[in-house]
Amino acid sequence: MFHQTYASFFSKISFFIFLSLFSIQINAQSIKGFVTDVDTKEPLTGATLAVKGSTQKSLVRLDGSFVLKSLQPGSYEITVTNIGYAAVTQTVSVAAHTPVVLISLQKDTRSLGAVTMLSSGKTDDKSARGLEKRADVVKNILSQKTIELLPDVTVANAVQRMSGVTIQRTSSGEGRYAIIRGMDQRYNNTLVNGIKIPSPDNKYRYVPLDIFPSDLLERLEVIKSLTPAMEADATGGAMNLVMKSAPDKFLLNANIAGGYSTLFSDRDFSSFSTAAINKQSPAEINGNSYAANANNDFQKNSLLFSAKKKPVNTTLGLTVGDRFLNKRLGVLVGVSYQNIYRGSNSAFFLPNAQPTTAPGLDNIPVFSDIYKREYSTQTSRVGIHNKIDYILNARNKISLYNLYLKTNEYQSRYSVDSVLAIQRTGPGSGNVQITNRSRWQQQSIYNATLQGDHMLSNLFKLNWSAVYSNAVFALPDMADYAVDHAVFTDPSTGAVTTTQHITQKMSRIWSHNTDQDLSGYLNMTYAPKIANKTTEISFGGLIRYKTRDNYDNRYTLDPVLTGGAPQAFTDIQSAQYFFKPDQGKGTVTATTFNNYNFKEDIASGYAQVKRAITAKLEVLAGVRVENTQQKYVTVMPANIDAKEGTINYTDILPSVNFKYAVNDKQNIRLSYFKSISRPSFFEIVPQQELDENFNVKGNPYIKHSRADNIDLRYELFPGAADQFLIGAFYKNIANPIELYVVSAGGPSNQQILPQNPKNNATNYGLEMVITKYFGSFGVSANYTYTKSKITTDKLYYYYDNGQKNKSVQQSRSLQGQADNIGNISLLYKNQKLGLDVQLAYVYTGERIALVSPIYNSDYKQAPYAQLDFSLEKKIVKHFSVYAKINNLTNAPAKLYIDQTNTFRSGKDILPDQDNDSKILVQKDIYKVTYLAGFRYKF
Amino acid sequence: MKKIVTYLLVLFLAIGFLTGCQKAAEDKADIYKAPLLIAQPISDAAPLCGAIKGTMLSGKTYIIGCDIVVNKGDTLFLQPGVRINVATNAAIIVKGTFVSNGTQTMPNWITVNAVVKNDTPGADPATDPAFSGKWKGLYADTSCMLMVLKYTHLEFAGAALGSTTSPLIANTSNTSSFSVLFQNYNGSFVMEDSWTYGGVDDPVRISSGNIALFRNTMEKGGLNGGDGFNVKGGTVGDMAYNLFVGNATSGQKVSNKGQPIGAPTSNVIMYNSTFINCGYRQIQTGRGANINFEEGARGKFYNNLAVNCKFGYRVVKTPVSDTANLFYGNNYQYADSLLVANQFFPVGYITRPQTTDLPLPSAYLPANYSLGTAYNGTAAVQSGNPLFINYPLPVTGGIKLRDIATVGNFNFRLQASSPCIGKGYTGFNLSPLQKVAIDPVFGVSYYPQPGVDVGCFQFNGSGNNH
Repeated sequence: MFHQTYASFFSKISFFIFLSLFSIQINAQSIKGFVTDVDTKEPLTGATLAVKGSTQKSLVRLDGSFVLKSLQPGSYEITVTNIGYAAVTQTVSVAAHTPVVLISLQKDTRSLGAVTMLSSGKTDDKSARGLEKRADVVKNILSQKTIELLPDVTVANAVQRMSGVTIQRTSSGEGRYAIIRGMDQRYNNTLVNGIKIPSPDNKYRYVPLDIFPSDLLERLEVIKSLTPAMEADATGGAMNLVMKSAPDKFLLNANIAGGYSTLFSDRDFSSFSTAAINKQSPAEINGNSYAANANNDFQKNSLLFSAKKKPVNTTLGLTVGDRFLNKRLGVLVGVSYQNIYRGSNSAFFLPNAQPTTAPGLDNIPVFSDIYKREYSTQTSRVGIHNKIDYILNARNKISLYNLYLKTNEYQSRYSVDSVLAIQRTGPGSGNVQITNRSRWQQQSIYNATLQGDHMLSNLFKLNWSAVYSNAVFALPDMADYAVDHAVFTDPSTGAVTTTQHITQKMSRIWSHNTDQDLSGYLNMTYAPKIANKTTEISFGGLIRYKTRDNYDNRYTLDPVLTGGAPQAFTDIQSAQYFFKPDQGKGTVTATTFNNYNFKEDIASGYAQVKRAITAKLEVLAGVRVENTQQKYVTVMPANIDAKEGTINYTDILPSVNFKYAVNDKQNIRLSYFKSISRPSFFEIVPQQELDENFNVKGNPYIKHSRADNIDLRYELFPGAADQFLIGAFYKNIANPIELYVVSAGGPSNQQILPQNPKNNATNYGLEMVITKYFGSFGVSANYTYTKSKITTDKLYYYYDNGQKNKSVQQSRSLQGQADNIGNISLLYKNQKLGLDVQLAYVYTGERIALVSPIYNSDYKQAPYAQLDFSLEKKIVKHFSVYAKINNLTNAPAKLYIDQTNTFRSGKDILPDQDNDSKILVQKDIYKVTYLAGFRYKF
Repeated sequence: MKKIVTYLLVLFLAIGFLTGCQKAAEDKADIYKAPLLIAQPISDAAPLCGAIKGTMLSGKTYIIGCDIVVNKGDTLFLQPGVRINVATNAAIIVKGTFVSNGTQTMPNWITVNAVVKNDTPGADPATDPAFSGKWKGLYADTSCMLMVLKYTHLEFAGAALGSTTSPLIANTSNTSSFSVLFQNYNGSFVMEDSWTYGGVDDPVRISSGNIALFRNTMEKGGLNGGDGFNVKGGTVGDMAYNLFVGNATSGQKVSNKGQPIGAPTSNVIMYNSTFINCGYRQIQTGRGANINFEEGARGKFYNNLAVNCKFGYRVVKTPVSDTANLFYGNNYQYADSLLVANQFFPVGYITRPQTTDLPLPSAYLPANYSLGTAYNGTAAVQSGNPLFINYPLPVTGGIKLRDIATVGNFNFRLQASSPCIGKGYTGFNLSPLQKVAIDPVFGVSYYPQPGVDVGCFQFNGSGNNH
């Protein structure tokens, strides 16, 4: 797809200046009018109007309009200037009526031979609308200016503002993954400048979007229909992060901000030191046959938690760019640093893995634990990127792009677990387990892309990319220890007695993985005139060699029995642990299917034709072929089934996009494309997690999904940044990938595997976007209705002379899909005051957060609405202040099971229940966060 | 009146005489029985490794050098009087059939070589070889249709399976450390007159199956958790006349957790077992018992004798056992201390006091006792000493209850004056489920009926033979 982006670079070879006077209406003492780009007809918000012989100046407003007031009748010379454009002077007569003038500005090209630079004027809303309008595909775009003004500091949170997109949050309430049109992250891909990047995630292919600071972006695109030139693993859509590119002239932007989360007004932030943490596990250091020493090989400093009072969040951003060597060499360097303290207070009620039954009562949920958890998460993100482009001559250009992102997440979790199965007589009496966990997670992505664009002739263009990418994840020594005791409340006196605290198990996990891509892309376009119409014939392909290494090592340490009895707990440093026989050896802890090497080679090619069939109807059609060759090798010994394997398949993926231009402001699009989704490495490799009820395993026999997608969209771009889009989509997914229970390999062997349900999944919906500015006020809203259906096996427990269970089929929506989602943003932009204000509301309707293996027991997230606010105000030249406030209403995130709630009273009462017809199983409170700072723009 | 008495007396005498005559009249035959044909005798010349089938011969000592696997369709048969010394870290994996046919006079041993037991009361579990997992264990896969242990000693098992073994057996992980695992609800597991000693997790885990577990002795079962017989969803059968000393958690536990699709509800009939000092090595506060029914499980438990166990008979309410089909009574408890007596009816659970229980619950529970609430058990402390032949009650000499975890020189048979004698329930509605076919070699030897005396040793000498 990126070859098209470049095609647009080259299509704008030159520009002209002209100015036109459309109509004159006489009114008293003012001039009204509009200022637009001559080429795109987009309004030039922020352009300055000066009246000769007067001190009066005016700025062009959001919708492109301006007013010059308090003028005496006469003739005025108005000069319009705008960065990146040639100034225009126009004489306007003011008589009895107010004249309305339309002034068009032309890009200031300062040509280099015949080459024109890509303008940096691509950062605002209007250019985004233009890109949407001109695109070959169905896409939505957030411009840099829009992103800057959003209340969000990461791409993950910004993307939820886009039409049809919802996000999945982390335990601290931060967005992490995007769900596009109800298709969860598995069905989407993430591109940086059109190039797919690998994921540092330890299980999945999809890239955690919270690793990207949003201030590195020029724009964020969500592409919802694919052309043959695009990689096909984006059934839901492709998120393309277009990073800032080298500017036309010197550019310096800087921002600094500080803030805090009000969560830490109520309680302290809990922090721990990583100084003593060893990046390597005892088995990595000493070999798998080494028996780790429970006391000497495991530091405990990272389990000493200290309170931080009201920690301050910091964000810093710096972008510097310029052009050298007679404008042939463009350089841009951007740096972003964020250090954010967030957290949540969470209540979580763990349903027993198996429902209960009684005569006449089937499949009743029963709970085993009430967890109260406090998360304290410090996230520090560093992003550095750099773009260098060099224009060899009018026909040849090369560029090098480098991106490095690193996130350190330090999370402590304090958890109080009321164990309902042990000695519980009601609230205030029973067994209580207290666990403390420290978790340091490092993630990084590095991408280097060398690209060349060449016009071999006037008809033949070629571009290529050589890409190296590397994604790294590390979880060094995640530590978790538990202590238990019992509490008894005397029902008559209310007196509470607590038994001695007893040391329980401790777990230590080392996990890391790297994912490395070497890719080459080649795209060629031949655009001859055939039958008097330009016909663009493109062909090309890509080769990608992916290598993934996964390491996972889990230790369970047991408390020493002191004098043959359970060990009293005083503090973690004094607690004594040991390993049960052989359980400290790497042969037990690290020799698992989860230690593997995965190679994936993708070779694909495509051919497509783009041609205007009539003056108004354009078609882009073609076919893509993708060949996937996978090979995994685990560390398992030769006597074990599935220790290694190879999988390969070839997909032929046709697509066709029609674009009917009703007029220059309206399009109707119709597209069909075939897409795929590859299972995650983690799902293919037969790793296993053992549970008393089910074993969760990988499935090397899982098939990749294939989907048919149809999109229909009407687009209206009435001018300015305004737009109205309405569209419908339909998707049919064969071999969807779902986790559910099967009996495998024996009568007593129940496993949860990723599998392909027999029936296809379907997903359809309706999408609407409207953006309208009224002078300085704007409203931007989108709404998406989605309906999906998938049928999988579930376990159903019933009572028939004793508890029995059977497998039944249940249909549901896809995980993560909400029927109704939407955004409304109210904007106020006063150019004169240099003030931008935005109130952003995002709504996600009820959706399945987690699919349960049990019938009627899926976790559903209650409708979630969040209100955020942001403000930016220019204070002096180049300087502005800004503020972002997130989660103004302190909206709690709640999960429910849709079953009659019998837990509102009685001995089995669960806290926080608020509904008779559904059972609350999780409630997270994030509180309000504030951020305020300065921005410098030169 | 006197006449009637006289007549009755005569009648009784007559019946007695006739009965005696009938006993004399019983046929006593001693007919030659051919020894079982030996299929594929296994040589003891070299350590055994890998796939195995055939017969291990009486009087021989075999060494298992690394994991051995009895493949589906194959049988490994141990004649009486076989000793197996398992090398460190080896497992016996059964996908076919396994029969260890020991006898009272010629028991079999599956153990390790040259490890000296340390049964001094109060031995430190950290260094006690009982808990040190000298070999992995006897693991049946889901395809195993029959596993039989008769008069077999199983010792020092419980090493973690590790990566080379666990993938060969369904539903296990690298850290699985049972001594015995059975997991097929279409298959049968018989354990009679056998012994387990030590272990790390459950000495015997039955994930599902048809079971007959009679007259076994379990000592030092589990390191810091683990139930003697730990039964999960889809298990049906009988447990009786077992003796547990010093188990980490419970002796006999039944749950319907993890019931496979198509498997029956867990249903176990229990009677006449004895539990000594169980529950003290379980590290979780509030756990440990002698008998435990939970999560959808049903069955019966009668005539059991529990002495100084950390918690009493436990019927769990979250998730609730199938209380409509759970029956119990005539269970005996003894406590040295108030701590133990206060948990005869363990706090937080729903075990219902029965008027047949001993000591009589009404003697120490408050009149308005509500299930699972705390009470003062002072009246039950040291009340009703069961009067074992050789076991000091209360335990004296500075020895803690948890310190005694083996039988050693103690004798848990009953003195003639024991209050346990004659207190058992033998009513018509208490009888074994008999889910496994009777066969002297390939099945249950016989189904013992409930005994008249509480506990595993009957005063008349029947019950547990150890």
